[in-house]
Amino acid sequence: MTRPARFLVRVGAMASKEVMHIRRDPRTLYMALAMPVVMLLIFGFGVSFDMDHIPLVVLDGDRSAASRALVRAVSAGREFDIAADSDEPTALRMIRRGQALVALAIPAGYQRELAAGRDGEVQLIVDGADGVVANQILAKIDGLVRAESLRRIDVAAEPPLQVKVFTLFNPEARSALFMVPGLAVYLLAIAAVLLTALTVSGEWERGSMEQLFASPVGRLEIVLGKLLPYLGLGMLQLLLVVAVGAVIFDVPIRGSATLLFLAGFLFLIGMLGQGLFISVVARNQLVATQAGALSSLLPSLLLSGMLVPIENMPRILQVLSSVVPARYFVHAMRGIMLKGSGLSILWGDLVALAIFALAIIALATARFRRRLA
Amino acid sequence: MSELSIEAVHLSRRFGSFLAVDDVSFSAARGEIFGYLGANGAGKSTTIRMLCGLLAPTAGQARVAGFDVKSAPESVKASIGYMSQKFSLYLDLPVRANIEFFGGAYGLSGPDFAARADEVLRLCDLEQERNAITGSLPGGIRQRLALGCAILHRPAVLFLDEPTAGVDPVSRRHFWRFIRRLAHEGTTIFVTTHYLDEAEYCGRIGLMVDGRLVALDTPGALKKRYVPDRVLAVRGRNLDEAAGSLRGRPGIIAVEPFGAGLHLQVASTEWNADLVAAALTSAGAQAVEVEPGVPTLEDVFLAVVARPREAHAP
Repeated sequence: MTRPARFLVRVGAMASKEVMHIRRDPRTLYMALAMPVVMLLIFGFGVSFDMDHIPLVVLDGDRSAASRALVRAVSAGREFDIAADSDEPTALRMIRRGQALVALAIPAGYQRELAAGRDGEVQLIVDGADGVVANQILAKIDGLVRAESLRRIDVAAEPPLQVKVFTLFNPEARSALFMVPGLAVYLLAIAAVLLTALTVSGEWERGSMEQLFASPVGRLEIVLGKLLPYLGLGMLQLLLVVAVGAVIFDVPIRGSATLLFLAGFLFLIGMLGQGLFISVVARNQLVATQAGALSSLLPSLLLSGMLVPIENMPRILQVLSSVVPARYFVHAMRGIMLKGSGLSILWGDLVALAIFALAIIALATARFRRRLA
Repeated sequence: MSELSIEAVHLSRRFGSFLAVDDVSFSAARGEIFGYLGANGAGKSTTIRMLCGLLAPTAGQARVAGFDVKSAPESVKASIGYMSQKFSLYLDLPVRANIEFFGGAYGLSGPDFAARADEVLRLCDLEQERNAITGSLPGGIRQRLALGCAILHRPAVLFLDEPTAGVDPVSRRHFWRFIRRLAHEGTTIFVTTHYLDEAEYCGRIGLMVDGRLVALDTPGALKKRYVPDRVLAVRGRNLDEAAGSLRGRPGIIAVEPFGAGLHLQVASTEWNADLVAAALTSAGAQAVEVEPGVPTLEDVFLAVVARPREAHAP
């Protein structure tokens, strides 16, 4: 038999053995296929940055027609609900207890000042414990108060300047559209790294790695035989996650699905390679699981741009994020799914993903000594 | 041309400051069963791993099946079978899948391999269990499977590292019968064990003490050299106290408890069965029966280990 034929036989033997392991281990299948879908559903439904019905305390010191008009303007929509109409100590207590997030204080003489043609000043007390929430409240109130002041100037008149906002790609500002592509990346990263980290370190623990080393199976054959089945499983997982996003969360794929799966393919090789590298170094399942979870979970959650925009990070973290493959895949996923970006925009991401994949596989293979010491 | 399957010359392996294998030289001919004996940590597994190309020697060299373990470990690996202490099977897979995987690992495929897999299943008496999950089978059957996986590619040399650890006596007997047949057909067997009764099956035995090969010969020759004296088996009552009175007397070489009785090594010029019986009876033992005993490898092992280290120098 020729050398290439033997190579294929060995890779095939490794891969089909791995497929048998996977089919016989419900935990692997759960981790690869069920867990990402369950997590996607939980996060997709549970995590929303869109705020409605924010509890508001009114401190009306004026009790006039004008103050009542302002309160009505603020509370008419679905954004704010009046939790109480009270005094300042009560308002502070409610905010401290979380029963209200914001208080609107209208001073006595508000109507008189307005009638005299001077500025009417109102005070806003916001719970700043959560910066994201506080910013949203400020933005919403600001809009409502602005509308009210325009109305007061002249009910009929059109303001001289009008800004009309068209939000591209996600006009309703739905969290799901923003979250699902990022989440998909995050879930794929964890599952891929953990799966390979477990399978290779399992061979060390079982002693079967020594048995393999005593046979003519080469390290590239072991690496390929281990990676290929999980690459297949990972692609299935990607398909499942994208399908759940499309069907349940209405996340579109405006760009090319082929491009999306190509990016996913490169990303998965990188993540599987990372798991392989960890288990080659760690040689035991416990350490490999910890290192695998930590090295995939934190960077793809925090440094990928999934939650925190990379532009807002300190310089050092920005640099660090440039070696996190999730960053490029999040960018590519959002580009393809929401903006319909094509290769001309995303080629950089694909190149970065390919470089990481090649580098980590080469590193894992190089570190993979076939001698025991 | 001499048909040497294994040739180790001044082989050493150091782990940090610990010398696991210290200047070991030996050879094994084709079809020989070479036993490698020693306590745990004496360097048996380290030697096997060097011979299998798994561990690079710190010094010295070795040729296995005609290939140098340092410069051609891949050729060595292709011509040997290796069965490690833990059997290293995939317990979640069926018996047949293990066979198929290890066949593939050695590059075997196609109808020839399918026929060979069936043959090995038959040889190892695994046809009933071919579809059983390996983890559900007892140790003896797993051992046969591990052996089957190691001989699929008809290796010239078979390395067995503690192959019978944790296996019941009947299975051990079957196992050795099979090993002898393989050797008879021309496979060279290199086996480590610490069951001394098993070592009797070996053509030649090497004894390892603290990383050094201190004795190497056939079981018969080893017994003659290290237990040259008469061995007597003693049974009776109150032997323990009476045995104390024998120790230290001229011509008494060793007094060891053996089962419910005693094993004595005595100089044949000074002692015989009757004299020993009389001495023990006068020391308080009752119903003393003394019979000539056969020296075992255990006697050899104890004699070798008991000698001071300097005496081991060649």
